[in-house]
Amino acid sequence: MNAPDRYERFVVPEGTKKVSFEKDTKIMNAASFTIEREDHTIGNILRMQLHRDPNVLFAGYKLPHPLQYKIIVRIHTASQSSPTQAYNQAINDLDSELENLKQAFEDEKNRFEERKQPY
Amino acid sequence: MDRSAAGVSYQRFPRVRIRELKDDYAKFELRDTDASMANALRRVMIAEVPTVAIDLVEIESNSSVLNDEFIAHRLGLIPLTSSGAMGMRFSRDCDACDGDGSCEHCSVEFHLAARATDANKTLEVTSNDLRSTDPKVCPVDQAMAYQQAIGTADPYDTSTASDHRGILIVKLRRGQELRLRAIARKGIAKDHAKWSPAATVTFMYEPDIRINEELMETLTLEEKTSWVESSPTKVFDIDPNTQQVVVVDREAYTYDDEVIKKAEAMGKPGLIEISAKEDSFVFTVETTGAITAYELIINAITVLRQKLDAVRLQEEDGDFTGLDAHLGVA
Repeated sequence: MNAPDRYERFVVPEGTKKVSFEKDTKIMNAASFTIEREDHTIGNILRMQLHRDPNVLFAGYKLPHPLQYKIIVRIHTASQSSPTQAYNQAINDLDSELENLKQAFEDEKNRFEERKQPY
Repeated sequence: MDRSAAGVSYQRFPRVRIRELKDDYAKFELRDTDASMANALRRVMIAEVPTVAIDLVEIESNSSVLNDEFIAHRLGLIPLTSSGAMGMRFSRDCDACDGDGSCEHCSVEFHLAARATDANKTLEVTSNDLRSTDPKVCPVDQAMAYQQAIGTADPYDTSTASDHRGILIVKLRRGQELRLRAIARKGIAKDHAKWSPAATVTFMYEPDIRINEELMETLTLEEKTSWVESSPTKVFDIDPNTQQVVVVDREAYTYDDEVIKKAEAMGKPGLIEISAKEDSFVFTVETTGAITAYELIINAITVLRQKLDAVRLQEEDGDFTGLDAHLGVA
C-alpha cells in the first residue's frame, strides 16, 4: 500500500542532483560523494578502480538502506591529489576500459566467425 | 588508450575470447579485469539492458476462465523482439506524446481477437495470435518461425517449426471469447522483471590447478584412482599410458575442496593446490530471445558507459583544484 513506486529506483527526482559531494570537516583531502539512484553496479566498480590509484588512501562505498536509492562513496587521498580528481580519474579510466572492451568484443566476434568458416 | 600520454591512468585493457556464440547463447572468457567489472556487467545484463514488453492492456471482451489482470500479467511476460529497444524512447521521457506513452517513438500496439467455435476442442490462444502494428516488434516465437520460413535462421539452431507454437496465454471453451488491445513499451528489468532480456547470466573464476608431480609419483595406481574419484565432478583422470594424473577439465571444478581434503586424509597435504585466478572469468549468457546474446553483451557495455557518464561531477560542483592539470593531460 505504501510501497514506493518502482521507477523511484532509477529516476532521479526533479530538483535533485545526480551527484553531490561534501568535504570532510576534520580530514584534509577527504570527501563523501552521494550518488542518487545508483547501486552496487556503479559503487563497486568505482571503489575498485579508486583502489588502483596509489594516491587514494581510502575508498569505500555504502548503500545506506535498500529503500533509499542512493550510494555514498567516500574517498581520502594523499596531499598531491584530491578526492574530486581521483573520482574523475576513476570514471575516465572505467569509461575507456569499457570502450576498449566493446572494441575487443567486436574484433573477437569477427575473429570467431572466421574461425567458424572453414568447413 | 595511450597510456604514456595520459601519465596518470590506471586503466586496464581487458581481453575477450568467445568460445561459443549462438543467437540466444554465448560463452566467453574475460581476462585482465577484476570481479567488480565482471559483476557490474552481469548486473547490467540482467537488470538494466532495455527491451520492449507489453505494459498496458485494454480488454474489450473477456469471457475466458482467467480474469483480466491474470491475462494482462501473462501478456506482459511474453518476450518481444527488441533489437530496436536501445534506440527507442522511454514513455516517461517521450515528449512526442503528452505523457500517455502511446506514440510511435515509445510504444507498439498489439491486437488480439480469438473466439472458440469448435464444440469438441478447446481453443488455445497463444502469443502467435498477437497482431503487432510494427513488424520489428513481435513475439519471439513468431519472429523465429518467420526466419525459418524465409531461411535466414541461425544455422546452428536445431529447433523445428513445431517448436514455435507460441506461448500459451489462455484456453477457451466453445463460446468463450477474448478481445483486447495491448501497448508494449520500452523498459528495464529494474522496473519489472518482464523487461529482462537475460534468462541466465553467470560468471565463474577460472581455476588454477597445480599438481605436485613429485608427491603425486609417490602414490600407487590404486591411490591415484581413489584420489581422482574423490572429486564429485570429473576434473582429473589418469593417463592410461603413463599412469600419470592429468587435469581433463579444470572448469568442472566447483571449488568444493574435496580433492584437497582427500589428499590430506591420505597423508599427502600439498599434493594439489587450487586457486581462483582473480582476473579471469568464464561467462555464460543466455537470453530470452528478445535480443541476441551478442547484442545483450554489447548493449550492457553501452548501458554501463551511459551510467558512468551520468555520475560524472558537473561543472557547478566546484572544487576543481587540480582538475585543470588533470584535464590538460587527458
